[in-house]
Amino acid sequence: MQKNALYILLADDDEDDRLFFKDAFEEIKIQTNVDFVHDGMQLMDHLHDPENKLPDILFLDLNMPKKTGKECLIEIKKTERLKNIIIAIYSTSSSEEDIEDTFIQGANIYIKKPSDFNTLKKIINEVVTVNWHYHTSGLNRDNFLLRLK
Amino acid sequence: MKWIPNFNSSNSLRVIFVIAVFILLFLSSIAYKHNQDLNESSKLVMHTYEINIQLERLMSAIKDAETGQRGYIITRNARFLTPYIYSRDKVNTSFIRLKKLTADNPVQQQNLQNLFKLIIQRFVSFENCLKYSDPKTYDKRKLDNHMFGGRILMENIRFKVDEMNDIEKKYLSSRLKIYDAEISLSPLFSISLFLVALCFILLAYRQISRDIERLKVFNKKLLISSGLIAESEAIGKFSTWQWDLDSQKIDYSDNQFRLLGFEPNAFVPEKETFLDFVHPDDKETVSKSMEGILQNKQLPFVYYKIMLPSHEVRYFKTTGKLLTDQQGSKILLGINFDITDEHLLNIELQERNKELEKSNKELASFNHVASHDLQEPLRKIQTFISRVSDADKAVMSQSARDYIAKIEVSAKRMRVLIDDLLLFSRTNTTKKEFIKSNLNELLENAETELTEIIDEKKAVITASKLPKLSVIPYQIEQLFINLIGNSLKYSQPDIAPQITIESEKVLSADYPDLLEQDVKKFHKITFTDNGMGFDPQFKETIFVLFQRLHSKTDYPGTGIGLAICKKIVDNHKGHIIADSTLNKGSVFTVFLPD
Repeated sequence: MQKNALYILLADDDEDDRLFFKDAFEEIKIQTNVDFVHDGMQLMDHLHDPENKLPDILFLDLNMPKKTGKECLIEIKKTERLKNIIIAIYSTSSSEEDIEDTFIQGANIYIKKPSDFNTLKKIINEVVTVNWHYHTSGLNRDNFLLRLK
Repeated sequence: MKWIPNFNSSNSLRVIFVIAVFILLFLSSIAYKHNQDLNESSKLVMHTYEINIQLERLMSAIKDAETGQRGYIITRNARFLTPYIYSRDKVNTSFIRLKKLTADNPVQQQNLQNLFKLIIQRFVSFENCLKYSDPKTYDKRKLDNHMFGGRILMENIRFKVDEMNDIEKKYLSSRLKIYDAEISLSPLFSISLFLVALCFILLAYRQISRDIERLKVFNKKLLISSGLIAESEAIGKFSTWQWDLDSQKIDYSDNQFRLLGFEPNAFVPEKETFLDFVHPDDKETVSKSMEGILQNKQLPFVYYKIMLPSHEVRYFKTTGKLLTDQQGSKILLGINFDITDEHLLNIELQERNKELEKSNKELASFNHVASHDLQEPLRKIQTFISRVSDADKAVMSQSARDYIAKIEVSAKRMRVLIDDLLLFSRTNTTKKEFIKSNLNELLENAETELTEIIDEKKAVITASKLPKLSVIPYQIEQLFINLIGNSLKYSQPDIAPQITIESEKVLSADYPDLLEQDVKKFHKITFTDNGMGFDPQFKETIFVLFQRLHSKTDYPGTGIGLAICKKIVDNHKGHIIADSTLNKGSVFTVFLPD
């Protein structure tokens, strides 16, 4: 692991998506360490283990086996040690209901999984380079859903 | 509550009758008195005449004595003395009679007394005359004196008798005058009284016949309304009962017996027997509420089951109200409704509702499936294609490159289809929040959304002032996007699209076939374009889901856009129609309720 690099964690049960994600990070020129978990249970176990370093940004899929992304989000926000982790929802769904729910429960940004690899790279670049301090303080429903021009 | 007609006239009738009876009693008493008076007066006349006769008899007896005495003095024949001897008796008889007759009159008694004295003197004078005419004691001078004295006495007697007769006559005439006065007053008075009584009786007769007429009318109305009630009870499956709280008598309407499974009046209703009909489950509730009636004097709605003799179970609803009638007795009026049909219908409705809820949930989960599971593989196909870099393509054969391109187009089309389908189902399932919105603002938003294609086609969109309406804003915005987008898409090649949007208020009565008549006013918004138009025979079908008039190679589309428009307008209880002339342009008309 590289030191001073951003530590990124992706929780997604889809192997292809994890692959796209990994490739995209490799192609953008930012120093990152990327880890993967396969479901909600594994994610929570990983986070609760004090041995593990907490991620700088957690990309969270909503539709996961064993424990859904929403359940994980609620649990994280309830846990004192975890509640400050920056959480980017990373989902196929673009339903208003999902966006609304995760916003209320304290997620920082909502990313609809793109259907184009270049778009994915742009999104990841955007998310990793954003100044999270400013973004979070000015967070509202309109800029919660990440839209790329 | 006016349920007994008020006959006030019965009181006035009584008064009229009492007055008439009193007048008649008065009249008959007057007639009686009249009769008595007549009787009295005739007796009085008789009385006077009798006195007169007796006085004349007295006179004639004295005259007889005088004549007899004269005959005797002249002839000295004793035969002439006979009337003289009898005259004393006759005088006495008449005198006694007169004394009786004048017993009530002291003046006449006095006169009679004086007369009697004169008569005695006269008889003394007779004796003296006889004495001095006797040859033995003849004295001419004394005889002459006594004869002359007798003559004067005789005149005095006559005078006295005349006086007595005059008194009687005067008395009689004065009495007759009084009676006459009384009699002359009464006929006019009694006739007028009789007429008054007659008037009263006639008045009473008129009132009675009027009351009878009114009673007849009320009777007829009562008959009709009781018939109506019986009929409506049978049709409406309800029944009525009356419970006289004073006498504890309960009356059921005919239909009450029928609802309980009996013929009318098949048994005598009692408070206790009703419980026998109640289903065992509800006996306690019903008996409690029956006791409550007596305490609270009213009955709130009670719902319970009834077991008919045929063991059929019926559902009942009962309520009651306490009324006090004009006589002050307390009557509880109740209604029983047989709500079995409604109850069963309700149960059926509830079941259907559950089914609907279930199918709604299924629809929602279909949405979820569509938004996630269908999109997921598609997204991956697209992403994998995007992973094929230009460098990779360069080493591929031409046909492989073509196939890749075709896969890309198909995947894109699949995505548009899924997105449109989702949009279509969401216009139906998402919550419908109506907000008062300025349609011009929504139109501007729609134009912003379409900026790219508007600029590209150099389209000119002119809109008049649109109304402010209570709508679901994002849906109306979608409607505008779809309609304008449609016009832009099917524009004529080489002619800049011109879209005119106009609005006016119309009455629903002017469009009886199209619009719901409950809402009086609608806003008619027309979208007119100069596009390629379509064959008017398709003006209905273009709103049907997946209906397309063009091949997808010429005009890519899913056939969902206009179906969404229709759904949105339906959500607003409006109406949308289309008309067109091929190669001239189309008009889409949206009606939205005011």
